Amino acid sequence: MWIFLVSDAFSFGGLLIAYGILRSGAAVWRQAGEPALGVGFTAGLTLLLISTSLTNVLGYGAAARGDRRRAALLLGVTALGGALFLVGQAQEWFGIWGPGLVREGLVFGHSARASTFYITTGYHGLHVLVGVAYILTILVQFLRGKVGPPQIELLSLYWCFVDFVWVFVFSFLYLMP
Amino acid sequence: MEPSPAHSTGGAPSPAARHGGKEAATVFAGLVLLTALELGVIRAPGVGRGPVVAALVGLAITKASLIALFFMHLRYETRILRFTVFGPLAAPAVYALALMADAAWRLLR
Repeated sequence: MWIFLVSDAFSFGGLLIAYGILRSGAAVWRQAGEPALGVGFTAGLTLLLISTSLTNVLGYGAAARGDRRRAALLLGVTALGGALFLVGQAQEWFGIWGPGLVREGLVFGHSARASTFYITTGYHGLHVLVGVAYILTILVQFLRGKVGPPQIELLSLYWCFVDFVWVFVFSFLYLMP
Repeated sequence: MEPSPAHSTGGAPSPAARHGGKEAATVFAGLVLLTALELGVIRAPGVGRGPVVAALVGLAITKASLIALFFMHLRYETRILRFTVFGPLAAPAVYALALMADAAWRLLR
């Protein structure tokens, strides 16, 4: 798992370095008509993702102590938090209960800012989606007694890595002046 | 050699699992605080772009290190594994710093 995570970190590193090169070389980064990114809303999503890392870690701890019911509950909460993060990202991109970035003028392919934003956050969102599926798969197998703490720890590594990467995506894409 | 937590095969709880909830809650509180600090940094009046960027990079590295060391249990892994993970990750960080220095040099030229 660690080898996979390190190699995956390189793929995110490549995306963020490409973002840095494009941004530092651009005379104007935010094109006319493009919306600002919703820092407050995304900060909420960040806290949600951090919370799911906590529930995941606590879930692993409960499983390791033999508290199966608590472990299953915490894994379920983690999956729910991940799904909510994806809903939040869909709201941000396309708008579910309000206008999204696409409708406001941040269109993929229309500027380097838009393209790097969608590719990087989309690649991260794909990791969250895979993570939610991974959690649900392990949860079902855990409830059936087919997997135990070692498999949940590997899952925990993957899920916390998704949080690890988001720390940089949030700082570089959303917060950098 | 004691098996690392990520490669344990069952039985007794790993060293990472034994540290449990209190440590995780403390790290969680630290991450929330650091995120609030990030939001404060970008809204701080009268601070130049350079210091803001440096502060954001430092805060991001601190947050990521907390996640890797405590949530991902690297703190309880062997020294070799810690080096295997953090060593390669330093490469893109150094590259990014070089690019930032290059951009700053071009701006000041």
